[in-house]
Amino acid sequence: MIKPKFPILHVGWDELCEIVKDEGILIFIILLPLAYPLLYAMIYNTETQRELPICVVDENMTARSRDLIRRVDATSEVRVAAHCTNMEAAKELMRRREVFGILQIPAEFDLRLWRGQQAVVGLYSDLTSMLYYKVEYLAVINVAQELNRNIKVLEHQTNTTRREEQLARWPIRFEEVKLYNSAGGFAAFLIPPVLMLILQQALCLGVGMSMGRSREHFRGLVIPPSKHYKNTLAIVLGKGLVHFLLFLLMAFYMAICVTRWFGLPQLGHFTDLLGFFVPYLLACTYMAIFYSSFIYRREDCILLFVFMSVPLLFLSGVSWPGAAVPPLWKAVGSIFPSTWGLNAYVRIQGMGASLGDCRQEIMALWVLAAIYFLLSCFVYMTEIRKSVGRSVLN
Amino acid sequence: MSNDSSNPKKSSLSLQQRIRRSGTAIWKIFRRELRAFSRRPIFLMIMFVAPLGFLWMFTSLMQSGLPTKLPAALVDEDDTHVTRQLTRILGAMEETHFVLQTKSFTEARKAMQRGEIYGIFRIPKGTTEAALTQRQPVISFYTNDSYYIAASLLMKDMRKMSEMAGLAMTRETMRARGYRDDQIMGTIQPIVIESHPLGNPHLNYSVVLSNLIVPGLVMLVIMLTTSYSLGNEWKRGRQRKLYNMAGRQTWVAVVGKLLPQTMLYTLIFWLIDLVFYSYLQFPCQCGISRMMLWGVLAVLASQGLGLLLFEAFPGMMRMAMSACSLLGVMQFSLAGFSFPVSAMDRPFQWLSNIFPLHHYFLIYVNQALNGYSISYAWTNVAALVGIALLPWLFSFRLTDAFLNKDYKA
Repeated sequence: MIKPKFPILHVGWDELCEIVKDEGILIFIILLPLAYPLLYAMIYNTETQRELPICVVDENMTARSRDLIRRVDATSEVRVAAHCTNMEAAKELMRRREVFGILQIPAEFDLRLWRGQQAVVGLYSDLTSMLYYKVEYLAVINVAQELNRNIKVLEHQTNTTRREEQLARWPIRFEEVKLYNSAGGFAAFLIPPVLMLILQQALCLGVGMSMGRSREHFRGLVIPPSKHYKNTLAIVLGKGLVHFLLFLLMAFYMAICVTRWFGLPQLGHFTDLLGFFVPYLLACTYMAIFYSSFIYRREDCILLFVFMSVPLLFLSGVSWPGAAVPPLWKAVGSIFPSTWGLNAYVRIQGMGASLGDCRQEIMALWVLAAIYFLLSCFVYMTEIRKSVGRSVLN
Repeated sequence: MSNDSSNPKKSSLSLQQRIRRSGTAIWKIFRRELRAFSRRPIFLMIMFVAPLGFLWMFTSLMQSGLPTKLPAALVDEDDTHVTRQLTRILGAMEETHFVLQTKSFTEARKAMQRGEIYGIFRIPKGTTEAALTQRQPVISFYTNDSYYIAASLLMKDMRKMSEMAGLAMTRETMRARGYRDDQIMGTIQPIVIESHPLGNPHLNYSVVLSNLIVPGLVMLVIMLTTSYSLGNEWKRGRQRKLYNMAGRQTWVAVVGKLLPQTMLYTLIFWLIDLVFYSYLQFPCQCGISRMMLWGVLAVLASQGLGLLLFEAFPGMMRMAMSACSLLGVMQFSLAGFSFPVSAMDRPFQWLSNIFPLHHYFLIYVNQALNGYSISYAWTNVAALVGIALLPWLFSFRLTDAFLNKDYKA
């Protein structure tokens, strides 16, 4: 086989051959970034909870209470799955997980309304999922507000004209706009950051496994005893180049293919995305190379990197609001490219921000890339020294 | 935990002798395993430092419970004394903190794209005029739903405020006409919704989230270390030696090998329970000892799943570990707290049943959060026991691996 002459290309070529030959590395570098996003997108593909079964305890039994129930049933969020005569029966259904909420209409509901007093309707929510409370509350509050307007206009205030009636209904109109995720769906919120996290984790696992393999092959050293592996810069650049280019492809596969297939927000311009991916992937690659130097066996990298995924997602401030993350954990998070990368990607791709809008994140990524690059150089420098020492001994 | 009783060859020995022999073998393997731990720093780090680190991290990360004072912008294009009064009302909202007050919507939108704010409340030009002349002003709010939790909280807050602003206007009119306050409330808000989130009245998400994430991470670590420590025998070519030490009984080898981990992780689970329910006073209606019991079951089930995956790829440590990590990370999604399982497509609803975390979480909600009788969650308890025992059915694959399989990279 013809081997390239430049040390950088030689190292890169070796790395590429090693990746292709080793099915363990292939799984992490090719299969994981290709397949895992699809799996995740499919889990959250339904976007939101619809027609959640709830149970109604109607102690009032009047036309008005039935009207309320019909309106609640008609919302897309919940469906009235059962009518119970008392709370005990309803609670029993809840315990058996047949319904996930109870709407209780008190006996004096209609009477109080006719008297012009306030009537309290109880909503009991199950907390098995945090979405249950949200959809139930939203459905019931919307119906109640609509009914309130009707009662106010039709029963209490004498309005002479249609316009006056409209005004009484809505003294102030308000409109709510969900920006960048108009359906308020879960996939559009969670998948974009997860895509970026998968890139970083796959890189760490792939590089880690290849390092572990080298150490097993070359008796604890990460570089083969070859004349091409004498120049630190060539090794670090060559190894980095292969992973960087491979993952640049993967990044665009995620940003274009996965995003399009699952209808995720896609507002980023190509140049902005490129301007983000380059520092992000460089930072991830060299972080992977640096941390992998602590790995002495192939399988250790799985132990070390896999469980970090979930904490990293939290530290990034995407799932748990960043404004509520304490300073200590912000500092810990800032040493990982994912913390900056997840936010920058969400903004560029999901919100149409330009590179300038993400200046802070992009700068941080370049700084991280530089730091991890230097650390990687340091690692390889000591490794070369070790290997020279060993060959002298031999 | 595997439990292979199908070993009729030693029928010449009495039952007592056989038990004693297996017990000695387990004890020998147990001590051998402890020695192996002490030689592998990475192993110790993953088993001790990681779970305790998560415990510390997640409890301090979500210390404040429900996030409050989320940054938002207020765009007051009108800027009159009326709108300023409105902005003062808005400033009193619990979850919203206006960090930016401006006259330009573009400026606020740019701040949102820079990630500085999660929402914008906008009072358009002419609001005061329209309100004074009874021409129905329109106010609007924008939330950034790329950040789901923050957006949901802000949306709820802003909606409430907008609704209240409208009601306040009617209230002023009615007061002027001489109505009493209770009459006014009966008119402008006749139906009041009183919401009761069961078991967690303050909607403190950190309570439920910590109870999902921290045990879940420990369960992921359990699955990984189970296949790692077993696979290591093959990697170092000592599987046959282990098998002989166990008196050629697969179950003895597995029990001896995994027992130290079972004990260690049980202690970690108990420590988590103590920190959650005793130190941090998270709601626990069933009593802490009950949760400790379910913790033991969760440890056993996670080891069971790890073992099962190892049996699926006997001797292939890396494949088994890859499968463990794939499923172990997915279990957080399929536990169904953030996004409910009932909203997922059918295949995922079925799939969620193989995850110990899913069952453990439902047991937690049933027991600690709601204080129901365990009879309502017996299917989940049964599932955990089932997952723990399932590897026993396939132990023949492990026996085969002990005898015939070598390490495959």
